[in-house]
Amino acid sequence: MSQSLDSYLALSALLFAVGTFGFLARRNAIAMLMSIELMLNAVNLAIVAFGAFVPSLRGDASVIALVVMAVAAAEATVGLAIVIAIYRNRRTPLVDEYTQMRE
Amino acid sequence: MTVAELLAIAPLVFVIGLAIALVVVDMIRPHDDRLIGIVAVVGLVVGLEVVLLANGDGTGVFGGAYVRDRLTFFLDLVFLAIALLTILFAPDYLRPRGLPMAEFAATLLFAISGAMLIGGARDLLVLFLGLELLVLPGYMLAGYAKRDGLSTEGAIKYFLLGSFSSAIFLFGLAFTWGYTGSTRVADVAVALQGVTGPGLSAGLAIGLALLTSGVAFKIAAVPFHYWTPDAYQGSPTPVTGYLSVGPKVAAFALILRLFVEALAPLKADWVDAIVILAAITMTLGNLVALTQDNIKRMLAYSSIAHTGYMLVGLAAFAGAPAGSPAAQAGLEGLLFYAAAYTFMNLGAFAVVTALQGRTGVTSQIATFAGLGRRAPLAGVLMTLFLLSLTGIPPTAGFFAKAYVILAAVQAGGWVSVLAVVAVLNAAAAAFYYLRVVVWMYMREAPDDAQPLTDSWPMKAGLAAAALGTVLFGLVPGVIIPTAQAAAQALLP
Repeated sequence: MSQSLDSYLALSALLFAVGTFGFLARRNAIAMLMSIELMLNAVNLAIVAFGAFVPSLRGDASVIALVVMAVAAAEATVGLAIVIAIYRNRRTPLVDEYTQMRE
Repeated sequence: MTVAELLAIAPLVFVIGLAIALVVVDMIRPHDDRLIGIVAVVGLVVGLEVVLLANGDGTGVFGGAYVRDRLTFFLDLVFLAIALLTILFAPDYLRPRGLPMAEFAATLLFAISGAMLIGGARDLLVLFLGLELLVLPGYMLAGYAKRDGLSTEGAIKYFLLGSFSSAIFLFGLAFTWGYTGSTRVADVAVALQGVTGPGLSAGLAIGLALLTSGVAFKIAAVPFHYWTPDAYQGSPTPVTGYLSVGPKVAAFALILRLFVEALAPLKADWVDAIVILAAITMTLGNLVALTQDNIKRMLAYSSIAHTGYMLVGLAAFAGAPAGSPAAQAGLEGLLFYAAAYTFMNLGAFAVVTALQGRTGVTSQIATFAGLGRRAPLAGVLMTLFLLSLTGIPPTAGFFAKAYVILAAVQAGGWVSVLAVVAVLNAAAAAFYYLRVVVWMYMREAPDDAQPLTDSWPMKAGLAAAALGTVLFGLVPGVIIPTAQAAAQALLP
């Protein structure tokens, strides 16, 4: 079990679920950003696992994993910039206090 | 690379080059908004020429990862039209608020280059890259007025839910790739032949479910639409106009490349989800729009409803037997709808922008009071765009709705129920669109009403949007052959 593709995919799904839970449960914009990073890393784990266990996917896997890392970094940059912008306006990182717009 | 291959990527390279050129021009002549506007508009017109020149003969580039076929051709024209219209009417909003034009135009063009990358992507990884290149500049644009609390609030909600959905989408992509063994769209389709129904493995089923929800977020289908109203209301008005059209059409391009090309063998497995999404998206979007007093929020819910109508075209494709005329008509309807929606919705946002050309004008529907008398031309144009959004003949909106609804009827089965839902929704939508018309013609303007802006780019943008809205309605033949060829390119 410990050395099979399925166990790695299960671990990655678990990590992804932790990230999803963090995103839905946390109210701090930075913590939500970290949860998204966790989800992206879970995806990367699945990609690398596929590459390690399926010989025909080995070449693709490392390229895809690198691209995902680059995209994650770009996303974090934009996200932190937006968090800083809204912090300057509101003086709080808590998303449930961003309630200027209502139905 | 051969000449044909270079020509195939020329439009994409051109738009990226234009975006870089705008940054450079701004460096040499800082704060010259007029110059930036001229460079951007002239550049985009040349860009349209490049697309026409490159045509779409099916040349594959980078080992087949990017292809310029008739669908790429059609989508590139739509994306450039979106960029052109947005840049024409944006300065009237940005200038009075002291927001720089150069960064706006450059960021917008980078986003458009992402959309164009999606339009021609024949590789799962390129699709994902295009998607990210599309949405990251979108987040920046939403927060463009960084000292405005509403703009940053819309931006952070858009960003958080947008990257959340990107992660879900990517997880689905990873599973699809892992279990089919290829990132190439064509190879994925081959690998999926005959595995539908009970043959579908658990891994592929998870991948398909994650891809569907990720994409539903991107097109703002109910119940994945929560980011839309806040992001649209908070963003600067020209950005809202762009966000309501650009990312939506691009996400539908993603659906065409991913679901219609790569996942077509599984369509019996995803058609039910699309039918349900389409029905609730139309209905909820329209019902909530009825109660809105803020024009941008109303148009946000209206854009959700239009997502539903476009999904009807997709459902018609998936519900009809493979190779039947209804399947192709569904795709043609979707593409025609995307083009018609581009012009009518950006037109409506152009009028809203003209109205907000002076700082301090809010987005309340009450600001339209008496517009029909104090600015007759703007009133007539707004009425035209709203009638088109409602779907009244002989406008583009009518023809677009008729196209998808007829395709749904032809498709038969559950999908034809969608036709009924769509017609009922179009009737309900008339209430809130015409409410704005009532404000314009039957209420007195307040004494302190601000005059509208009337710069030439704004006039040109309004004229172009109105021309598209009328032309596609009166003479749909000008665009239908292009849409048909694009739909055929998708079908084997």
